[in-house]
Amino acid sequence: MLALIQALADGVMIGGVYAVISIGLTLVFGVMGIVNFAQAEFLMLGMFAAWFLWAYVGLDPLLAAPIAFVLVGGLGMLTQELLLRRVMHAPPVAQIFLTVGLLIVLENGALLVFGSDYRSVSTPYQAQALKLGPIFVSVPYLLAFVASAISGLALWFFLRASPYGRAMRATAQDPMAARLSGIDADAMRRLAFGLGVGLTAFGGAVILPYLTVSPTVGGQFVVLMFTVVVIGGLGSIAGAVVGGLFVGIVQSLSGLVFPIQLQNLVLFCVFIAVLALRPEGLLGARR
Amino acid sequence: MTRPTKLAAAALALLAALCLPLGLDHQGYAIRVATLVFLFGAMAQSWNVVGGLANQMSLGHAAFFGIGAYTSTLLLIHAGLSPWLGMLAGGVLGGLAAALISLPTMRLSGHYFALATLAFGEVMRVVANSWAGLTGGPVGLSVPFAPDSLALFNFKSTVPHYYIALAALCLVTAIFVWIRNSALGYRLRAVRENVDAAEVVGVDTARTKLVAAVISGVLMAMTGTLYAQLNFFFDPDTVFGAAPISIRVALIAIVGGVGTAIGPIVGALVIIPLEEAANLFLSSQVAGLSGFAYGLILIAVILVQPHGLAAIGRRFQRKSKGAS
Amino acid sequence: MADRTIGTGRTTRRVALAGMGGAVAAPALLRSAWAAEAVNVGVAVPLSGANAQFGVNSRNGIELVADQVNAAGGIKALGGAKINLVIADSTSTPTSAANVAQRMITQNRVSAILGAFASSLTIAISEVTERRDVPLLTMSFADQVTGRGFKNVFQVVAKASAIGAAQFDGTLAIAKAAGQTLERVAIMYEDTAYGTAQAVGLRDGAKKAGVQLVMDDAYPLGITDVTPLINKLRASGAQAVFPVSYLSDSLQIIRVMRQQGITIPAIGGAAGYVIPDFEKGLGEFAEGVLSISPANYDLAPELTDAFRKRYGYFMVHEALEHAVCMDVLVQAIEKAGKADPASVRNALAGGRFEGGWTKAMTGGAVQFDAAGLNTLSVPVMVQWRQKELVTVWPDQFAKGKAVWKS
Repeated sequence: MLALIQALADGVMIGGVYAVISIGLTLVFGVMGIVNFAQAEFLMLGMFAAWFLWAYVGLDPLLAAPIAFVLVGGLGMLTQELLLRRVMHAPPVAQIFLTVGLLIVLENGALLVFGSDYRSVSTPYQAQALKLGPIFVSVPYLLAFVASAISGLALWFFLRASPYGRAMRATAQDPMAARLSGIDADAMRRLAFGLGVGLTAFGGAVILPYLTVSPTVGGQFVVLMFTVVVIGGLGSIAGAVVGGLFVGIVQSLSGLVFPIQLQNLVLFCVFIAVLALRPEGLLGARR
Repeated sequence: MTRPTKLAAAALALLAALCLPLGLDHQGYAIRVATLVFLFGAMAQSWNVVGGLANQMSLGHAAFFGIGAYTSTLLLIHAGLSPWLGMLAGGVLGGLAAALISLPTMRLSGHYFALATLAFGEVMRVVANSWAGLTGGPVGLSVPFAPDSLALFNFKSTVPHYYIALAALCLVTAIFVWIRNSALGYRLRAVRENVDAAEVVGVDTARTKLVAAVISGVLMAMTGTLYAQLNFFFDPDTVFGAAPISIRVALIAIVGGVGTAIGPIVGALVIIPLEEAANLFLSSQVAGLSGFAYGLILIAVILVQPHGLAAIGRRFQRKSKGAS
Repeated sequence: MADRTIGTGRTTRRVALAGMGGAVAAPALLRSAWAAEAVNVGVAVPLSGANAQFGVNSRNGIELVADQVNAAGGIKALGGAKINLVIADSTSTPTSAANVAQRMITQNRVSAILGAFASSLTIAISEVTERRDVPLLTMSFADQVTGRGFKNVFQVVAKASAIGAAQFDGTLAIAKAAGQTLERVAIMYEDTAYGTAQAVGLRDGAKKAGVQLVMDDAYPLGITDVTPLINKLRASGAQAVFPVSYLSDSLQIIRVMRQQGITIPAIGGAAGYVIPDFEKGLGEFAEGVLSISPANYDLAPELTDAFRKRYGYFMVHEALEHAVCMDVLVQAIEKAGKADPASVRNALAGGRFEGGWTKAMTGGAVQFDAAGLNTLSVPVMVQWRQKELVTVWPDQFAKGKAVWKS
């Protein structure tokens, strides 16, 4: 029982982080209709941004996260303008493989610029945990969870209350109608892509205190992020939150029942089952 | 091009391919790369049956490829069975696996199908890594060292592999063309253009997709055996890997031109040498440079030619027709 | 520029025939690669992908020795021939590694190949070198490397199963010296060739010593959350834990153990536990962490300091062992008096090599058996002490006394 509560607590915290890094992916899909295979590379860039800010400015990664968001978000808008905009009307295969090319360029570019070292930060709270009775709550996990929740709420507020956010949601729901009502679809896509990869970079920065960054770190997250957004429903932001928590909890709980080696197997089977039975995801609306 | 000129061009290309090894070191680098071009061409052509004709973009073909490699090699190691027979067994299992994954993904299309198949490939990779009792686990499998023998599909020289890969490419391409021109091909096109309309005119769309998926799975699994015998060693992350197999194979078809018979061949002729050239010229310099350049070229190709390189030929034809 | 050498005329013509894009090297620069002035040595290590750092370390070690040999007048038996390293990225896929090896053999006419750090890459390369009769010197420690009866592969370090067993035995000995008898231990390892092979050795060691394994778990490579592992460890009541992993996982494991207040000793399985980034990442928490290592730089500071001076960090074990590979190769060429692969292979087979960099190995020399395994090499236990790795076991090599906190 105790082990179950502990696993649930761990799962919720880690799941909150998965949610934020995956919201970006689902946002990009929702507005642009593109599955971005390079999304996890922006997570890597966010981690590097936070690492350099920690190493040279002495900024805690949690505080560096908004800066990582801005930097990588800007890079994302540039990427959209220079690359993705040109394949918006190309076949889906070309779109997917453009992002695969981007993945290769970003990973190897990072290796060129940053080298192959594994970099990690040291912060005072890194090796601390709160003890609630017999349950451990890891401080870096908790902080990452809180930061994720705040950024998630901020995004929600932006999409609901700001004119840009409303325009973006309109574009996601019906691009044609949005254009007819005077929304600049290109600008919306630029904004969505910037926001999407920026959020993922933000997530990268907040997990840096308990993880390590190297040019290949994106590979650890790419399939995981797909799983989250598919389970939640491609394009659904609330779905990504549910999907993230779901994946975090499944990962954590499956360790109690199955060998930990099979952690991902359990996840992928759920993934396929969800696609087969409810392709619109747990929360997605039927299109 | 008219049909006779097409056939003549194909015959000429085949003749050139048949003569090529005469000028090459039999165990050399060039012939190895040429062999890989044909092998990956055959793999991409297998993918093309589902990815091109049915327009279902699979990112999980490594599942079938790995099944083929493991089946023939395990049968060879444990039962002494010739890999030629193992290849047939692998083909059967690959077809079964394709049917298995077709059932839950039948209704999916586009991105959803791509992601589901990606997950299926990963499932197979995890299983192969975890089920060490059967597969030997992450350590991988070595094909036993044996004297040259056609019956046991074991050659020290690369030349036999070259011709086998060439034959495989021709065979898979012939199957592809045959399917495309058969009743199944017409049904597949109907499904691709409009599923609902196809249903209305009486096409059993589920069955059509299933048949295409199984054929593709069988062929892909058989190329897995060719790979195992050429490379003599493989591990789960290589033969079941998304990046080295699934995505690469789809990439080859896409760069060449999805749904065309020539596409996977053109794609393999471009991608495999490009990878090697990037490695040859840049990898001894700064770490990461070769991958960086490769990625940039890839992006450029897709931006310039989103419908694949084979489309260049078609455009050229149209132009010349317009001129005459 | 291509690899650092230009192929011979013959191969270039053939490559051009094959239509292999850019490989049409400038013909004006062609020269025979076997001429007395240079001996080509292939270096195939991962310079991209997840193992890039280890590949770069390996390359650094080899370059150091090659430059030393060249500066000291080259290979004497060949009239002062210089060593010309042909460096290429083996990438992280065995197919590409095999391609690279094939290329080095035919295009560059290498006398031998060194590499490729990761066992799966080394095994793939060995399939090529065996069929072309070109010697391959490696520090990959999977048992299969020399376990397949190949004639052209030479492994300078102990095998993975021996390293795993030593990881266990050394720990038992250190604990015993500190007055603790271990009864329950845990092992956790990444499910790669390296992790699983070493776990076999650990398991055997535990069985032989009659120690109970209260946890024996593999976990997926690239795990993003190790908490389930540590929760399980905490519940297991183990007195010591043997994690076998690369760096990213190792930092997570140690940190989460600290978070949960688990203070039992962690005895790492080389790889991620014996590189400078481990200490950089963990800071004070690295102090006192033990690990097994196939070799350690403090056994021969007079040699390894040159590495530190040139590259700015201590000579990690893969760099050291690759340096030894390079030195042994040079000695074999001196002995053979010829640089063609067959002669070099014959000089290596069953040979004993002393002096030079071989002094940095635990045996103080290198002796290959019929299978090509260096029989003299035994693994050592090292411990982090103030940003340095100190050899603490076995006693005859120890530079310091192990600190054991139970």
